Amino acid sequence: MTLHAYQQYDAAERAYTRAHSLDPQNFDWLYLLGAVQMAQGAFDRAVKTLQSALQIRPGDLAAEVRLAESLTAVPDWNGAAALYCRILDDRRECPKAWYGLGRAQTAKGDHAAAIESYGKACELFPAYGAAHFALAAELRRLGRKPEAERHIAAYAKNVTSEPPLDDPLFQRIHELNLSSQAHLQRGAELEKAGLLDEAIREHEAALANDPGNVQAHVNLISLYGRAGDPGKAKQHFEAATRLNPGRSDAWYNYGVLLYMQKHFDEAEKAYLRALQINPDYAEAHNNLGAIYEQLGRPADAEKEFRAAINDRPDYPLARFYLGRILVNEQKYDEAIQQLQRALTPDDDKTPVYLYALGATYARAGDRAHALEYLQRAHDAASRYGQSQLLASIDRDLKALQSAE
Amino acid sequence: MRAHASPAFRDVATEVGLNFQHFNFATGRHYMPEIMGAGVALLDYDNDGDLDIYLVQGSRLDHGGKLLSPPPSGWKPGSRLFKNLLAETGELRFVDVTEKAGVGHIGYGMGVAAGDYDNDGFLDLYVTNFGHNVLYHNNGDGTFTDVTRQAGVDDTHWSTSAAWVDVDGDGWLDLFVCNYVDFTVEGNRGCSSAAGEPDYCTPKMYHAVPSRLFRNLRNGKFEDITEASRINSSYGPALGVLCADFNGDGLTDIYVANDTSANLLWLNQGDGTFRESALDMGVAYSMDGLAKAGMGVTLADVENNGGLVLLVTNLTGEGVTVFRGDAHGQFDDATADFGLLQPTFGYTGFGTQWFDYDNDGWLDLFIANGGVTLGSASPARGSRYAQPKQLFHNEGRGRQFRHVSPEAGSVFQIAEVSRAAAFGDIDNDGAIDIVVANNNGPVRLLRNQIGQRRHWLTVKLEAEKVNRFAIGARVTVIRRGNDALVGRVHTDSSYLSANDVRVHFGLGDQTEIEAVQVSWPDGSKERFESVKCDRIVTLRQGSGKLL
Repeated sequence: MTLHAYQQYDAAERAYTRAHSLDPQNFDWLYLLGAVQMAQGAFDRAVKTLQSALQIRPGDLAAEVRLAESLTAVPDWNGAAALYCRILDDRRECPKAWYGLGRAQTAKGDHAAAIESYGKACELFPAYGAAHFALAAELRRLGRKPEAERHIAAYAKNVTSEPPLDDPLFQRIHELNLSSQAHLQRGAELEKAGLLDEAIREHEAALANDPGNVQAHVNLISLYGRAGDPGKAKQHFEAATRLNPGRSDAWYNYGVLLYMQKHFDEAEKAYLRALQINPDYAEAHNNLGAIYEQLGRPADAEKEFRAAINDRPDYPLARFYLGRILVNEQKYDEAIQQLQRALTPDDDKTPVYLYALGATYARAGDRAHALEYLQRAHDAASRYGQSQLLASIDRDLKALQSAE
Repeated sequence: MRAHASPAFRDVATEVGLNFQHFNFATGRHYMPEIMGAGVALLDYDNDGDLDIYLVQGSRLDHGGKLLSPPPSGWKPGSRLFKNLLAETGELRFVDVTEKAGVGHIGYGMGVAAGDYDNDGFLDLYVTNFGHNVLYHNNGDGTFTDVTRQAGVDDTHWSTSAAWVDVDGDGWLDLFVCNYVDFTVEGNRGCSSAAGEPDYCTPKMYHAVPSRLFRNLRNGKFEDITEASRINSSYGPALGVLCADFNGDGLTDIYVANDTSANLLWLNQGDGTFRESALDMGVAYSMDGLAKAGMGVTLADVENNGGLVLLVTNLTGEGVTVFRGDAHGQFDDATADFGLLQPTFGYTGFGTQWFDYDNDGWLDLFIANGGVTLGSASPARGSRYAQPKQLFHNEGRGRQFRHVSPEAGSVFQIAEVSRAAAFGDIDNDGAIDIVVANNNGPVRLLRNQIGQRRHWLTVKLEAEKVNRFAIGARVTVIRRGNDALVGRVHTDSSYLSANDVRVHFGLGDQTEIEAVQVSWPDGSKERFESVKCDRIVTLRQGSGKLL
C-alpha cells in the first residue's frame, strides 16, 4: 500500500498479487490490485481483477464504479452501461453512475438518454465538472447553444471537481503518503479554498518533513504575507533564496510583500532580481510598472506594462494599467484598444475595466460609447454587488446624461 | 492484416551512413529543455528527387555544470544535414553535408519546419531552439544562408514545433511558431518525482509563453502579426502544431497541442484574424473535460469517409486523444472506440502520424514514445525515461486499431527516449519510412520493408499561383468501386518535425485509379486523369482539367 501511495505501481502490483495469493478471499488485495492495474492502463486486466473482487464482496460501490470505468476504457460500452444501470437500481443518488451511464449512452449514439443522464449527474452534484462538460457537448450537438454555454460556465468553475466516492481503502492509501510533496499539495488545495491558516500548517508540515522543500518556502512568503506576519514571510524568503537563489517566484513574492509594506525601493529591487532570473515574468513587469507609476515615472511604468502584456497577452490588469497611462497621455485610441482587451474574462474586476472604458470614451468625446460602457459598468457592478463602485458609476452616468 | 514474412520495419540508420547521436548535455540539474528535444526534417533540399534528412542537436545549457557523461564518440556539434545518395538500384546511402550546406547552427536545438517561403522552388528551413531561432534560406545550389535577422522571424523564447502555412491566401507561406514555457537556466525550479527523487519539472512549474505568427511580406521579410491576428488571445505551453481547414470554409486553420492546458484551434476568419474555437468544436479537451499533456499531433481522413480524425499524443497515464469529426465540423473524443486508450495509456507519446505503412488503403498509426518524468517502472537498461515506439494497424472501417509493434520489427522492442518522427518515402519505393529522433541517443531510420508489396501512388504538386509546393492543397484519389482517398499537402504535424511534402496513398490490390483531383489552396480545383499507379507523379497547376 505504501508503494501504491507513492505511485510505484509496478512494485505495488507485484505486492498485491502476492498478498492475494497468500490470502485469496481478501477483497482488499484484489480491489487494490485492480486499482493499480487501472493506474497503469491495464484496463482489461483490471476488469477481470475487479470482477473477482466483486465476487468476494458483491455490491461494493467503489469496486463497481472502478469496474465500470475499466469497461468504458476497454471499451465495452454495453457492459459498462449495464453495470451503471445495476448500480443505479440500488443507488439512484450516485452522480458518478449517472455520468458513467451518460458516457456509455453517448458512445452508443443514444444522445437523448445521455442528456438525461448527464443532467441527473449535474443535478445531484452541481459542481461535477466532467458531467457539465459532457452535457454541454451533447447540447451543442443539438444546436442548443445557450444551454450548452451555461453548462460550459459551470464546467469552467469546477473543472477537476467530482463527487466523492466512499472509498475507505483509497483513503488509507492517500493517508500513507507522508511526503513533503503530499503536504504541499494539500496546502495548495487549502489555500485555494481560502483556508489560510490551515494552508500554512500544511506547508509547515511539508517543511518539517523536508526542510529543503523550496516550493514550500516560496509559498509561505505569500501565505504569511497575506496572514499579516511579514517577519515570518521574510524568514521563508531568506530560506528559499538560500536553498535556490534562482527562484524568481521567491523574489517576486518578496517584492509583493515589500510593496504591501510600502517599501517601494526594496520592492523594485526584488522585482528586478526576479526579472533578471526570468525576463518573461509578466507579473513582475506589471508590479514594477505599478511601482513606477506610484513614483511618478509614467514612461518607465508604460514600458513595464507593455512588457507584461507582451509576456502575457491575457493579462487584463496590465492592459488596464497601460490603458490608464495612455489616457493620461491623451492617447485615447490605443487606451480604448487596451481596455477592450481587458474585458475578457468576465470576472469581479470587469466592472472597473468597463467603467474605465466608459470614462475614456467620455474623455475622447465619444458620448454614445461612453454612455454604453458606463451602463454596462453599472450592470456588471450591480451583478457583482459592488455598491461603492456602483455609486461612482451612477454619479458619472447621471452627469453624462444631464450634459445632453 | 496479411501475415508478413519479414517485419514491417528495420532500422538501417547506421548501415546507410546516417550516423547521428543527439546529445542533451545533461548535468544532473534536470533542466527541462534537456528532456524535450529534438527534431528532424525530411526534405529534398537539392531537388534531386530523394529525401534528405536534417537532424537537430543540443548544446550546453549550463557552462558551469559538469556533464553526466561525455558526448558519444563521433559526436559533432550543431544540427546536421545528411544528403541522400539514393542509387538507381534502391541502395540507400547518406553523407553529412552540414558544413558545405552551412546549416550547422549551434544552439540548444528543438524542432524544424520545412517550407519554400520565397517560392523559388527550394525548401527552406526554420530551426527552433531554446533561445534564438534560425531561418535558413535555401540558395538552390546546395547551400543555405542564415537570413533570420533580415527576415525578422527570430524568437528568443523556448520555441518547439513550427509550421509553414499560408494564412492570408496570398500564395506566400507564413510562419507559426509554438512557444513553450518561460524556463530559464538560472531560474530552474528543481523538482522531484512522486518517490522524492530529483526529476524534471512539469510545465505547470513555469508560465506558458505565447506562440507567434509571422506574415510573409513577399520580399524576404516577415511581419510579426501575433497581436494583430489575435492569435495570442489564448495560449498554453505549445508543443505540437498542424494547419488544415477544420471547418470546411476553404481557409487554413491552425491547431495547437498544449502541454497540460487546453489545446487550441484557431479558425481563420479570412480577414487577418483568428478565432479560438477548440472548445466549441470539441477538440480542446478529452471526453471528461480535462486538459491532457498535448505533445504531437496528426490529422487525416482515417476512415476513408471524408471526415477528419485528429490525434494528440499525451503523457503516461493519459493515453492519446482521438477526436473524430462529424459532417457538421463537430468533433468527439473517440479514443476508446478506436481501441487506442489502453495500449497508449502507459506511454508518453511525442512524434506521431496517420500513415499507410502496408499500402492497404487504410491509414495506420505510429507513435514515438519516451518519458519526461521518472516512471514507476525502470527498463532493464538504458535511460529511466526510455519507452518503446508503437505501431498500430488500421483494421478497416468501423473496426479498431490493432497494436502490432511486437511483430513490426526489433526496433520496436528497443526502449528509447524518442521524440520527433518524420515520415516519407526515403528510398522512393512506394512505402513510407520513418526517421525517429531520440533524445540523447542515436537517430533511427525505420525502413519500410513491406509497403511495396501492394500498390501505391505518391503525388508531388507544383503550383503556379499559390506557394510552389502547394502546402495547404487537398489531393483526392478517386478509385473505381472504392471510397476516395484524401490527403493534404503539408510538412507540419507530428512533434518538432517536418515531413515529406509529397502526398502518399496506399492502394491495396488496386492497379488502376480513375483520377486524381487537386483542390489548390487558392480554391481552384483540377482533375488529372490517366494517372498511373505505383509511381511518384508530379502534377502541375494548370495542366489538369479545371473543375
